[in-house]
Amino acid sequence: MPCRVLRAMIRFENVTKVYDQKARPALDSVNLEIDRGEFAFLVGASGSGKSTFLRLVLKEDRATSGAVYVAGQNVAKISSWRVPRLRRGIGVVFQDFRLLPQKNVFANVAFAMQVIGKSRSVIRDTVPEVLKTVGLEGKEHRMPHELSGGEQQRVAIARAVVNRPGILLADEPTGNLDPTTSMGIMGVLDKINQNGTTVVMATHDDDIVNEMRKRVVELKNGVVIRDEAKALYTSMIPVVGQSRRLKDASGRDDTENRLPGEGEAQR
Amino acid sequence: MRLAFILSEIGSGLRRNLSMVISVILVTFVSLTFVGAAGMLQMQINQMKGYWYDKVQVAIFLCSEGSTAAGCAGGPVTPEQQESLNALLESPAVAQYINDFQFESKEEAYKHFKDQFSNSPIVDSVTPDQLPASFRINMKDPEKYQIISETFSSQPGVETVIDQRQLLERLFSVMNGASLVAVGIAGVMIVCAILLIATTIRLSAFSRRRETGIMRLVGASKTVIQLPFILEGVIAAVIGAALASATLWAVAHFFLGEYMSQQYPDTAFISSGQTLILVPALIILGGSLAGISSLLTLRRYLRV
Ligand SMILES: Nc1ncnc2c1ncn2[C@@H]1O[C@H](COP(=O)(O)OP(=O)(O)OP(=O)(O)O)[C@@H](O)[C@H]1O
Ligand SMILES: [Mg+2]
Repeated sequence: MPCRVLRAMIRFENVTKVYDQKARPALDSVNLEIDRGEFAFLVGASGSGKSTFLRLVLKEDRATSGAVYVAGQNVAKISSWRVPRLRRGIGVVFQDFRLLPQKNVFANVAFAMQVIGKSRSVIRDTVPEVLKTVGLEGKEHRMPHELSGGEQQRVAIARAVVNRPGILLADEPTGNLDPTTSMGIMGVLDKINQNGTTVVMATHDDDIVNEMRKRVVELKNGVVIRDEAKALYTSMIPVVGQSRRLKDASGRDDTENRLPGEGEAQR
Repeated sequence: MRLAFILSEIGSGLRRNLSMVISVILVTFVSLTFVGAAGMLQMQINQMKGYWYDKVQVAIFLCSEGSTAAGCAGGPVTPEQQESLNALLESPAVAQYINDFQFESKEEAYKHFKDQFSNSPIVDSVTPDQLPASFRINMKDPEKYQIISETFSSQPGVETVIDQRQLLERLFSVMNGASLVAVGIAGVMIVCAILLIATTIRLSAFSRRRETGIMRLVGASKTVIQLPFILEGVIAAVIGAALASATLWAVAHFFLGEYMSQQYPDTAFISSGQTLILVPALIILGGSLAGISSLLTLRRYLRV
């Protein structure tokens, strides 16, 4: 199915990840496809495997079995010296922002371009544009400690997308922020998604998921127990089987294929 | 752009780790000075060996103008005397002890003298007339020196017979011993330098793990991530090598060239210019030690 592989920006085929032989797998036979331009939430209790999923996309770790495709490419087949090229196509945002404290806003964003050899003039043109997209106009010269948490996360998002990656991975980007600020960040992510970037966001934040009404993939103990379009944080309709983990792109927008929405998934 | 970026990273790395960088510089400086000192001792030994040392063992000096030796009462050696000495050397009684022999004329003696003492002021005050002609003999068995000495010392026209080796061998064995000690100390110091460079790079990688983590995530190449660390070690080591080179040059120039050559005018010393051939060797040695040691360290402590 070459055309499907190409349409899928991220595709997991029967992926299992075992960190520790004695423990249960962090991901267990996960089949999942996320299309180009899609916005998907990854939800589930702590330890359910959300971060592991994102790490496998980045080739930060290798799957124990199964295959991970990113933009049609099997990441297991990417040689180590070409991994940087894979990562240039993926932006990442974390809960703890990870800004460089001794660089100002502009320099933090420019850093991501400098290290991949972008020219000074391209940097001068691109960075202000991206800062505008994330709503930080006029704050170029602030230092990270002079910014609120929400503003710091906007800088981190700007840095993640400044090289125009096809995919943006966000691991609990609103985990440290209050609800209002979180909604602001979601607005930024939505805008980036509107511009064509595939966004995958791992979160515990039910308000946000319920507000956004995007696709929700729920993990439990490393298993996909729900994959639902325009969904809520917790599924309202109890479902018996979990036979269709591999999402069928054509039948995604309806409400068939519900899986047990267990209380455990709620906070 | 990437180059400018790497350079600025190196600059900030050096500044942040200043005390460690200084200790790397000092340790490589000391260790390479010992390496260079061993090299200089060997060069000095070669200088003192002169033209003949490795080729022959025994020299028969012939009488010249100003010879005061008893055998030279009859004035400078005559062509006939020289002829008969040559014949004696070729006679079976003597020839059985020697591999071969060569005649060194006054002009050749002057040429070899000039080469050996090129760094010494003495060269200007010597003329070919003052230097004796000689037969230079390569012995089958150097221990048989006595036989040659007894045979030739009393011959007319012979000023003196000298066993060159005996004169210098002792001194050379002392100098060789000293260069072995220098190499030994250099070896220990180099181990220190390697460990210190490894520690410095590890600290540096640790203190910049935030940066390198971000670089990894945004897809910076391995080179861009690692090069600043490697060059940091290499630059410190090269500065140490440059200091060692300067020290060795200063020793050759001021100690050997000005002090020792005044004290021992009849000894040939190496010139400060000759020590310059040690400079590229020390710099390459220092740089590659640092490069290899930081590369191995980074493989363990910096994920890329
Ligand atoms: N590097 C690792 N080594 C060993 N086990 C790990 C490692 N990383 C994760 N795990 C384990 O894998 C499982 C999934 O972890 P993961 O970080 O993916 O969960 P998560 O859904 O992101 O949780 P959270 O919501 O708390 O961030 C956990 O049981 C965890 O202990
Ligand atoms: Mg996580």
